[in-house]
Formats: sequence, structure tokens, C-alpha cells
Amino acid sequence: MLTNGKNIKRLDVFFKICVLFFLVLLGRLVYMQLLRGDYYSRQADGNRLRQTKLVAARGVIYDAHGKELVNNSPGFAVALQHQNSYPKELLTKLGSVLNISDEEIRQRISEQQYYYEPVVMKSNISPQMLTRFEEERKNLPGVLLMVHPERQYVYDNLAVHTIGYVGEVSPYEMSRQMYKDVTVGSIVGKSGLEKQYDSVLRGVDGFTVEEVDVTGSVVQNYDTVQPQPGKNLHLTLDYDMQTRIEEFTNKHLAYLRRSKKAPNAYAAAVVAIDPRSGAIKAMLSTPGYNPNLFVQGISEKDWQKINNDPYSPQLNRAIAGEYPPGSTFKIVTGSAAFELGKVKLNEKILDRGYHPLVPTMRNADGEVLGWLNFIQGLAMSDNVYFYELGYRAGIDAIAKYAKIYGFGSPTGIDLPDETSGLVASKEVKKKIWNEGWRLGDTFNAAIGQGFNLATPLQLAVMLSSVANGGMHLQPYLVSKITYADGSLYQIPKHSEPKHIDVSQRTLDYMRQGMSATTKQGGTAAYFRTLPKAIAGKTGTAENSHGRDHGLFVAYGPVEDPELCVVCIVEQGGYGSVSAGPIVYQVFEEYFRERGWLPKKRLSDKSGKN
Amino acid sequence: MGNLLRKIDWILIVASLALMGFGLMLVYSATYNYAQTGQSWHMQRQTVFMAVSIILAVVSLAFDYRGSRQYIIYLYVFNVVLLLTVMFFGHSQLGAQRWLQIGSLSFQPSEFSKLIMVICLAAFMERRIEWLEDFADYARVFVFLFVPFVLVLKQPDLGTSLSFVAILLGMAFISGFKYKWLVRLGIGFAAIAPLLWNFVLKDYQKLRIKVFLNPELDPFGSGYHVIQSKIAIGSGGLFGKGWLAGTQSQLNFLPENHTDFVFAVAGEEFGFVGVCIILLLYMAVIWRGVVIAMNADDDFGMLLATGVTSMFMFHILVNIGMTIGIMPVTGVPLPFLSYGVSSLMTNIMGVALLLNVSLRTSELKF
Repeated sequence: MLTNGKNIKRLDVFFKICVLFFLVLLGRLVYMQLLRGDYYSRQADGNRLRQTKLVAARGVIYDAHGKELVNNSPGFAVALQHQNSYPKELLTKLGSVLNISDEEIRQRISEQQYYYEPVVMKSNISPQMLTRFEEERKNLPGVLLMVHPERQYVYDNLAVHTIGYVGEVSPYEMSRQMYKDVTVGSIVGKSGLEKQYDSVLRGVDGFTVEEVDVTGSVVQNYDTVQPQPGKNLHLTLDYDMQTRIEEFTNKHLAYLRRSKKAPNAYAAAVVAIDPRSGAIKAMLSTPGYNPNLFVQGISEKDWQKINNDPYSPQLNRAIAGEYPPGSTFKIVTGSAAFELGKVKLNEKILDRGYHPLVPTMRNADGEVLGWLNFIQGLAMSDNVYFYELGYRAGIDAIAKYAKIYGFGSPTGIDLPDETSGLVASKEVKKKIWNEGWRLGDTFNAAIGQGFNLATPLQLAVMLSSVANGGMHLQPYLVSKITYADGSLYQIPKHSEPKHIDVSQRTLDYMRQGMSATTKQGGTAAYFRTLPKAIAGKTGTAENSHGRDHGLFVAYGPVEDPELCVVCIVEQGGYGSVSAGPIVYQVFEEYFRERGWLPKKRLSDKSGKN
Repeated sequence: MGNLLRKIDWILIVASLALMGFGLMLVYSATYNYAQTGQSWHMQRQTVFMAVSIILAVVSLAFDYRGSRQYIIYLYVFNVVLLLTVMFFGHSQLGAQRWLQIGSLSFQPSEFSKLIMVICLAAFMERRIEWLEDFADYARVFVFLFVPFVLVLKQPDLGTSLSFVAILLGMAFISGFKYKWLVRLGIGFAAIAPLLWNFVLKDYQKLRIKVFLNPELDPFGSGYHVIQSKIAIGSGGLFGKGWLAGTQSQLNFLPENHTDFVFAVAGEEFGFVGVCIILLLYMAVIWRGVVIAMNADDDFGMLLATGVTSMFMFHILVNIGMTIGIMPVTGVPLPFLSYGVSSLMTNIMGVALLLNVSLRTSELKF
């Protein structure tokens, strides 16, 4: 037993402490209910406490040289305050001003999470709508106008597929919890980098609690928590190069259509990557669209226009367009043959216009080129030569090397919805067509047709490995992320570059063959006029729905590669005619920037003055 | 029997029954709007569980509390298993995993856990009571409580885990925990806090603590809750607006008004007079708890009564303090008044424990 007296003493103290607690509570209640009762009564009578979200500005997106590609401008949103009942006339009137249905308004009200927080009816309203709202405002009790930052794509269509666009989170996206920490009316990234980096760009919304009177004007501010702006993205994308590429490509496509060389050349993709790092310097998919259209909620007309365009402007062809790689795939077939020791560099193989084992498979345009070694075969893109290499290497080895070069799986670029393409193999054919493999399939695969499918970005990654001496790189667009004040938040991590399992000797042969392509006698001899040597490869991808797609891949300067460019022109016909000139102009411009070519006089505008 | 009736603590029984009566009225009022549209089962459920718990409580009086001593190992293990079950199979609500679903009912085992820990701690401290001379001996007690404390803290349920601390402090204090140790503990905590803050806590944990200390930081509106709660209570004035007539409570300005903020409904509808009666009833419960502890025949009974009383006091202070804006917002229910079957059962069983101790008292000293 404890010494009882001591415990009793302690219990006594304990009870006194408890009484003290009660006195504190009581004192506070006297103060609140008796002394300040009137004050609180007044507040209760006019209790129109309102909590309003202060939307955080999304982070700015900069190009490689610090140019603002995407920023924010002040915008307006219309929101409805919580009410015990919503008169029908009010909702109808609101719907007509904002051009949304009664049903949608009701749905938004029902999805409201905190009844004291006005529910956003429409974000980023247009100036016309703002005018109409101001006119009708007195007839819309409980409806408020909130100022918030609105996304602005400074250069409209520029790099739209890469940058993406934002929009209001949809009920479907909310129910699937596709975005974290969102409420009705939150603005989220819907595609491209805006979507990929949404959580970084979005920032943290703040709020303010205010007391408002019956007319909705603020009587007293209780509490404000400022929003924290989102973080900024610094891209590897080069504004100048991107702009030029868009210019060249659109001009050239127009030329191809006008000259009837490719009357349906409406779509194309270009990727420019630094083979030393994997940094994407430019990435184009055309046709595109103006992302600013989406910011204020796209109109039905604009949406129909985008949606019904047969050339799918929403598709990012650079990462999700899958094409037969055509003759650019001969690098894979050649690598397989050399790695397995099935061919020697100077061994001559006879092209008699067809391959004796499958005589129906011929060269394009019925050419017969005679005895060729590897360099000549690649430079002239001779199909029969590569049928023979494919035959010697076998489909399993071709598939193996295709995968080594990165085909058949996503490159891991920091963009959503990248596709993985397809590597032709016996299993693939069995699985998809449930048919056995034939030698003709091997021949097709060897020249990049048939079952092989690749995205332009995958081609760029393969090309980088050839150019940089066998390093496989993860391509990326964001070089760093900074806080709103400019201090560093994070440098995104990429997977370590790793050596691909192809010998330096073989890679050197590929480089020699590609260098010969742009010399006298090669398929893209017009590259000779550039001051530094370029290594390239033409390709033509079979297209069962129309004219073949034209492809061109190149890197340069040959001795110390700094840039890889991949271009595909849908229904462009021969790669040397459709895609090659675009790539040529990209290098020309790049060399000019590097000072290896004299600068052009300033742009046309200043010339006119 | 006559002896029993004479010994039974009528004040405690009447006070707690009166509080439960207030509780039913307040829950009825707070859920009145839902009930009108047939969306409320709160009243039925609260009443049914009140009846069931009272029957259980009466039955439990037949067993001598001292008998529970031999089962404390099992109780302790049962408690830990229960909390682990919540951790792995419990379901989340409002961002915390505190509930176990049985049929259509949700239980919050951490509520029962408090009472189980009172019994275990009482037995544990009683057995070692001769040792409790030295600070190191108390360290053993802390370790004993540590496992359930961490399990509840992880749910996360900061409020309930702090109630463990309050229970421990109360019991340790009564068993002779020296004042100078209390001072040292305070100084030690103050010294270690900045270290924890800078080196151990992660950013999100810091944020939670900041929000805990300053609810206005919470963008999800606990700042708003407190403002509304204060308006409701303050506007109640001297006599209140009358039952079912509180504008703030009835117009749904006040969230969670049948659970954690039920005291705001009382303040608004019953006014200062009403809340004084409620405070007096609570004081009566605490007073009887202390008296029962003083009269207890043995250390076990004394510690039990102290533990239960500490639990009540903690909940009263923290909950009411929160509704009137002098305590941070934590999810701690108000005994007998808040809706919640787990909390109600726990509190009724707590009273039953106090009564049990008082019934087995051989002579009344106070």
C-alpha cells in the first residue's frame, strides 16, 4: 500500500487542477456569451461568412534560353455562393450568361465539397462573357466574380503537343481521382508537359475567409492564406530552333502539295535531339492547334474543327505516331549482320534487281545496282543488299538488335501517352495474325517494313546511339525546375546513359554508310553543300492508306555530332524529297547559329523597312 | 443489498445520466434537418447503444474489479491486436484510418483502447508500486504505454494518443511522481523539441503540427469551423435561442455539429445557463471520480478511478476548449454529449468502473 496520506494530498491537488480547468472554461464562456454576446449575435444574424479560394498561379515554362513560352495573365471566374435553396430563375439566368446547362450547374453544386466555399461555375471566362455578366450582375444574387491567374500560351501553336494545355478538371477525372488535391473548377494540365508536370506546376491554392453582407460586399476579412505559386519548368527546347522548324516544315509541306509531289502532305513530325545528352532541342508534330482555345473552355465550333480534322491535330506524332521505320531501319539490320559476323565490310553482294530466294521482292522503282559493298548498299539504300543481310542474320537477331537500339519500348521521355511501337518477330506475327513466319517477312523486316513500327522519337534515340558512340540515352525536355523566386527546386533525374551491346567497329561502319548517303552518289547528296559533313539516312515507309511516308534521319557534324534530327512527312513519298529538305534546313540554321555559315540578313520584315 | 444501495454513488449516476439526456437532446437537434428528410439514423443508434451500454454496465458491477488484474496481459495483447487490425483492415474516413467496419456499424477501437489502457496501467503500476520511487521506474511505465500510443498516433489520431498521455500523467501524479521530475520532463521536452523539429520530423509532419497549433493554417477549413463554433456559442447569450431554434446549428453553418462540435449547439440553443448546468454536471462527475479514488480500498482501485477521471477531464477540457477557441482543433469527442457509439460505450463503461471501485470500498473515509 502506498503511503495513503501522500496520495490523498495528490488527489486533492489533482481535483484543484480540475476545478481550475473548469474555471478557465467558465471564464471564457462568460466572456463570449455574456460580455460579447451582442457581437456574436450580430455576426450570427448576418452570418454570411464566405471562404474563397485564392487560385495559385501555375509555374512559368521557359525555353532553354530563359524565354517565357507559357505564363499567366489575370483572368476571371464566376462562382456561386452556398444558399439554402437555389431559385430556378437564378440558375437559368446564370446558365444563359455563362452558356452552360441547368443540369451542369446542378451537378457542380452537388459536387461542392465545402458548402462555405463558393462553387466555381466557369473558370477563365471570355471578355464578352465578362461584359454580359457585369450587365446581369444585379439579377444574380449570390454569384461572384473571382480574379485568378489564367494560363497564357505566348506563342499560340508553338510546340503545342510538347507543352500541352490546361483546362478545368472534369467530373470524370475527379471521380477517377486522376489529379491530387483538386476541387470543382480546379485548373489542371490536360496534355503534354502541363499534364506530366501538373503537380509541380500547379502550386498550392490559398483561401480567404470574409464576412459579407446581403449584397455580397465584404464587411470584414477574417483570415487569408496566400496561395503558393507553382514551380517553373526550364525546358531543353530551343525557341528559335522550334520556331524555325515549324516554319520550314509548314512551308515545305505547302510546297510539296502545290508542286503535286505529294498532294496530301498535311502531317509531319520532327525531332531534334542533342546526342550527347538526350536533351530535346525541338519537337514538332503538325498539324497542331492553338492551346489558348482550351483555356477559356473551347467553343463547340473550334472543338468540332479539331476533332473532325482527318489529320488528327491532337496526336503528338513525335512520340505517339507509329510508322514503319523504312530504310532507316537498315542500320539495325546492318548492325545485326556485322555483330554476328555474317558480312565483311568490303564483301560485295550482287543486286540483280531481286533476291533469288524470293524473286517477287524487288528494289524500289525496279533499280538494278549490281555488285555493292555495305557502304554503297546503305548510301544507295539498296533493298536487295539488305534482303541478303536480313537473310543471313535471321529475324531473331534483327529483333534482338532492334530492341538493343530501343525499338519496341517507350523511350521514357517526360511526356504522357508515349507509345512503344512494335518490333517484328515471329512471336508478334503469331500473336497478332496467328500466322507462321515466312522468309518474305524477314526480308520486309530487314528493310523496316511489314510489322516494324517506330515513333520518330525512337528513331532519334537510335540515331543518337550511333552518333555518340553507342550510348543509349533517355530523352528529356525539362532540364530543371525552379521555385517561383527562381531558386532551384529540382533537377529531374534521368536514367544513366548506358552502353548498348554493339561494338565500336560496327557503329563505325554505320556512321561511314550514313556519311556516304549525303555524298555524291548517295540518296541525299544535296547535303554536300553544307559546310560541315552530315551523316544521314533516307527512308520510305509503306502506307496502305495512301502515298508512302517519307523519312529522313541525320546527325552532324560527322566528326563531332551535336545534333540529331528525325523527320517524317506523312504521305510525302520519297524521304529524300519530302523529309530530307526539312532536315537540311534545320542543319543549315543550326550551323548559322554556330557561326559556321554566314548569318542571313535580318528577317523579311526589317528588309521591307 | 441495502448495503449496496447505500454504498452506490448516486451523484455520479444522476450526473452522468443527466449528461446523456442532454446528449440525446443535442444530437436530436444537431441532426434535426437530416432526420426531417429521413437521412438520419443518429438518434436511433445513439439511443440503442446507450441502452445496451447501460445494461452491460449494470451487469459488469456484479464482477469485482479486482478480478480483472489476472487478465491484464490478455487485455494488453488484445488491445494491441485490435489496434493492429485497424491499421491493416480498418477503413479510412476524413484522411485517417481509425474505423473498423462491422456490418453497417463503424467502430473506433482507439476509444475502447483508452479504457483498456487505464486498467492495464493501473495493474502494472500497482504491481511495481514499491519501485515507483525512482524516475527510472517510471520509464518502464512509459515503455508499457508506448506501443498502443504509437499505434494510435499512426492512424493518425493525435487527439486520442494525447489522451493516453493525459491518463498516464494523471495516474503517475497520484502515485507520487515527484514535482521536480515534472519540471525536468518539461525542461527536457523543451530542450529536445527544436532538435526533433529540425532533424527528425519530415516536412509534412511539421505541417501537421503547425496546423495542430494554428488551425488557421489548414486550408480545409478547421479555421472556419472554429469561427463558426464561436459565433454559435457567443450568440447563444444568457438563455440561448431555445432547443431546435439555433440558427447557426440548424442552418448548417456549423459542420460536424453532432460529433466534435456538439458543445456549440449546446451553447447556442441553451445559452450560458445551459452550458453552466452542463459544466456543473461534468464537475460532479470529476468530483465523484476523485472521491472514489480517495476512498478506494487498494492501490489498484485508486489508480483505476484516477485513470478514468483523467480521461474524462482531458476530453472535457480539450473538446470544449476547442469549440470556444482556446484549444487547437483535434478530433476529440465530448463525453456523453457527442454522437458516436464507440465513445459513448467507452464513457459509460468508464462510469461503471468508477462505480465498481466505489461498491467494493469497505469504509468511507471521505
